[in-house]
Amino acid sequence: MQPATPLSGSVVPAARGVDLVKVYGQGDAAVRALDGVSVGFAPGQFSAIMGPSGSGKSTLMHCMAGLDSITSGQVFVGDVELSSLNDKELTRLRRDRIGFIFQAYNLVPTLSAAENITLPMDIAGRKPDQVWVDRLIDTVGLRQRLSHRPSELSGGQQQRVAAARALASRPSIVFADEPTGNLDSRSSAEVLEFLRKSVHEFDQTVVMVTHDPSAASYAERVVFLADGRIVDEMTSPTAEKVLDRMKSLGD
Amino acid sequence: MVRAVLKGVLAHKLRLFLTAMAVVLGVSFVAGTFVLTDTINKTFDSLFNEISAGTDVSVRAASGFGEDAPAETLRDTVPASVLEVVRRVPGVQTADGTVSGYAQFVDEAGKAVTTTGAPTLGFNWTDPDLSPLTLRSGREPQRAGEVVVDAVTAKDHDFALGDTVKVLFRGPTEEFTVVGITGFGEADNLAGATLAIFDEGTAQRVFGKVGRFDSVEAKAVEGVSSLDLRDRVRSAVPPGVEVVTSQQVADESADSVQQALGFFGTALLVFAGISLFVGGFIILNTFSILVAQRTRELALLRALGASRRQVMVSVIAEAFLVGLFASLVGLGLGVLVALGLQELLKAFGIDLPAAGAVVRPRTIIASLVVGVGVTVLSSISPARKASKIAPMAALRGTGVEQGGSLRRRSVAGAVVTAVGAGAMLFGLFGGGISLVGLGAALVFVGVALLSPLAAVPMARVIGAPFPLIAGMSGKLGRQNAMRNPRRTAATAAALTVGLGLVACVSVLAASIKSSAADIVDEYLAADYIVSTANFMPSISTDLAPRLAQQPELAAVSGLQTGEWRAQGQSRSIYGADPASVGQVLKVDVTAGDIGGLARGEILVGEEELKDKKLEIGSTLPMTFARTGNQELRIAGTFAKNQLLGSYVVSTATFDANFTDRLDFVVLAKARAGTPPAAARAAVERVTADFPNVELRDQAEFKEQQENQVNQILGLVTALLALSIIIALFGIVNTLALSIFERTRELGLLRAVGMARRQVRSMIRGESVIIAVLGAVLGLGVGVLFGYAIVGALDDEGIGKVVIPGGQLIAYVVLAGIAGVVAAVFPARRAARLDVLAAISHE
Repeated sequence: MQPATPLSGSVVPAARGVDLVKVYGQGDAAVRALDGVSVGFAPGQFSAIMGPSGSGKSTLMHCMAGLDSITSGQVFVGDVELSSLNDKELTRLRRDRIGFIFQAYNLVPTLSAAENITLPMDIAGRKPDQVWVDRLIDTVGLRQRLSHRPSELSGGQQQRVAAARALASRPSIVFADEPTGNLDSRSSAEVLEFLRKSVHEFDQTVVMVTHDPSAASYAERVVFLADGRIVDEMTSPTAEKVLDRMKSLGD
Repeated sequence: MVRAVLKGVLAHKLRLFLTAMAVVLGVSFVAGTFVLTDTINKTFDSLFNEISAGTDVSVRAASGFGEDAPAETLRDTVPASVLEVVRRVPGVQTADGTVSGYAQFVDEAGKAVTTTGAPTLGFNWTDPDLSPLTLRSGREPQRAGEVVVDAVTAKDHDFALGDTVKVLFRGPTEEFTVVGITGFGEADNLAGATLAIFDEGTAQRVFGKVGRFDSVEAKAVEGVSSLDLRDRVRSAVPPGVEVVTSQQVADESADSVQQALGFFGTALLVFAGISLFVGGFIILNTFSILVAQRTRELALLRALGASRRQVMVSVIAEAFLVGLFASLVGLGLGVLVALGLQELLKAFGIDLPAAGAVVRPRTIIASLVVGVGVTVLSSISPARKASKIAPMAALRGTGVEQGGSLRRRSVAGAVVTAVGAGAMLFGLFGGGISLVGLGAALVFVGVALLSPLAAVPMARVIGAPFPLIAGMSGKLGRQNAMRNPRRTAATAAALTVGLGLVACVSVLAASIKSSAADIVDEYLAADYIVSTANFMPSISTDLAPRLAQQPELAAVSGLQTGEWRAQGQSRSIYGADPASVGQVLKVDVTAGDIGGLARGEILVGEEELKDKKLEIGSTLPMTFARTGNQELRIAGTFAKNQLLGSYVVSTATFDANFTDRLDFVVLAKARAGTPPAAARAAVERVTADFPNVELRDQAEFKEQQENQVNQILGLVTALLALSIIIALFGIVNTLALSIFERTRELGLLRAVGMARRQVRSMIRGESVIIAVLGAVLGLGVGVLFGYAIVGALDDEGIGKVVIPGGQLIAYVVLAGIAGVVAAVFPARRAARLDVLAAISHE
């Protein structure tokens, strides 16, 4: 078992957590969802966080993304320490520097696909970088569907719109929480392929929480969590290797 | 099942509260109206009983209107000799004559002591055994120049024993010395009326009834019943004199008050009904949303074996519980509302005596039935929808209201609107007022059914500036208002009703104001109008002759008005000075000569003449309360005149047929060439001696008419305000429910960077659009109603429709502001959602 690599070289990680502890509840009922996790995500890398249910992988992602507060430790997105931010600053950070893809319900139903993609910039009142957005749209292959409402798109198309949205503002880091959890294998492959492309071709940074070994195999690096601690890490994963490792974790 | 429902209701206390509010307010209005009118009725009942408490039998002149003439009918007097006759009847213990009339005190500053609606009464001191008066200090009036004052007036105006006070009468003003201060039974005065009590001779003289009494009151000796005494007295008195028990007099008075109040109570109940009608919209909407949101839960129940009936009953049962709870709260609030209504009416110059709060069983039953009834009825349609949910829906995801085609609904809406409009027009042009009300209600229902069609395009237009003002939040707010047209429309519909009626009343008021000004221009020739503040007939008959003596004035005429009957129908008649009326009013006499109108002659308006197939030169049979059947010769006719009615006689003829003649207005025209200031000064010289009158020139008169209309408009708007407030609660409720439904979406928006401020702005935008949508629809409907009603009032002299544009725009702006207010609470709730919890919300 190896500890998680904190930093590689002199590159500032896109996000990192130091000694993260997250406790839910109090007294006897207290649950340590995160129990001293230190982890960094290098820019330009596609990472996956894996672990059995209850291992704290979603909590880790939520804390790293500023959606949830930590009990102790420090979270940095770029060089910004999150605990010093108030709600307004956190909101702005999420808007400008973080991209999100959730398992489901990623899109605002009243907006078209195109409007959903540029939503964070529109909220900020900023003009999107149209060249970049066009490139994303072509990469996800949704040019023909831009004026459609989410209800007129398939689940896979919706997740691809969500992925494009997450990348549209060129965030420092994209957090994806089980982005393929509700999709069939073909749609999953399309979404994952897009995420990999965005890292390799567009130099974006993606951190994905998943429990699916084949999804994890798209990543360059997999961090394994169990009982709120990082228990392993794997680079250049394959589905088989991940599956084996997961089995040993008792999922 | 019932326990599950009860638990469900209590689990959502906030929702329960918001839904119930719509019913609570309506029910409290109903209960408040009943409590107020019952209390006033009871106050008057005990008052009249107190007045007649000491007497058994009342002797008075028979009314020309017959035995069931209303209490306020002005009867003739009886000769004083009747008193002697009554006193000699065996079984009479005491008897005394009463004489009463108009007597108004003047305070130290020289201003007339006025009341808010109650009369200013003067009468004679009668035998204390028969009288409800109770001397508080001093003594009874014994000779000319003495007066006893009621305790309230004495206290309010610092009248003390020995003071000299001025009193206004029909005739000249006189001075008296205060010799006593009296209460009325236990009370300090008689329901707000001012009382001036004189000795018998003085009273007969100042009221112009020398040697006569208005009535003779008698008390029976022990052992003789009121009925016995009545029959005994009856056989003793001369013909033309009527003998009734005092109880009957009290009942007649109470009846007449009850009838007047009945109208008033009905009017208030109409407004309460409007509130409940609006409340019904909100219940319907709320339950529709709830059923939609609970689709999965209800489908699960169905899948687990609940029957359609059980599902339907569960929804109705929830409505029943909400309705019951709301009605009970509303009933409790009703007592407060009664006090509030009383204050509101007082603010508009209608002061009604009410002591305590009378809550009759009828009030409780009506409140509960109406409150529960409206709630349950409004829940039937959502309940039916709920019962149609297939068990399979449990497996399908979302619980958002299904769209479906609006076609059937729209066809139904068009039909209902058309039927409503038809009923309304039919009602307006002769069918009766209740048909108008029913028609209006149907139109509102129809418009509500149709409005989902209009909701999307209208929301798009109304919300067009929002994206420019508030960027993405504005855009999303607008989209949210458009995403569920049924819901938006149903929420707005509640506001449509209130604002529709406000707009209708505004159009009506503007039209009346403009027509009133036209009528003045068209029919009034006088330069000066002298009247009391409320156009009550209480101008001394001394005033007009004294004005006529002023050299600066060319013509002066007092006007009188009274009631007469023909074939049981009541009509108005006007009395005027034939010599001058033609100069102060523009009367177009097309046949005959108004100046030569002699005693026993009458002028009849052209339309009436044609309508009743009367001929000039023939006689017109008329019945007066005082003089019974009379025949007046039709001496001529005149073109329609809004200020003079259809039947005009000389003041002399009027006097011959009415008691206690007082002018309700005196009109004066300045002599040609007299400077206005001099003419006005001449009028003021005379009116200075009559502190109860006010002087206005034509412009001031128009302004006063306008103010009166404005006051009524204000009162009606205030009463409609409640239904508007209820509608705003509806917006709050819908928004809160929609936010609950969109929890995940809100979480997503917050996650991708929407600030709380922007969330609030988004909700506000939706709210403002709904409110303005409701307002615009309401104004549209209201203006059309206004057109219809003004059209129907053409005969009353309201010729043209005036649309108060500025006012209507102000209503829309106010609705927008109300929308902002309604959004405060839901917006705060939405902004405070925990992002993470919202995203993972099921």
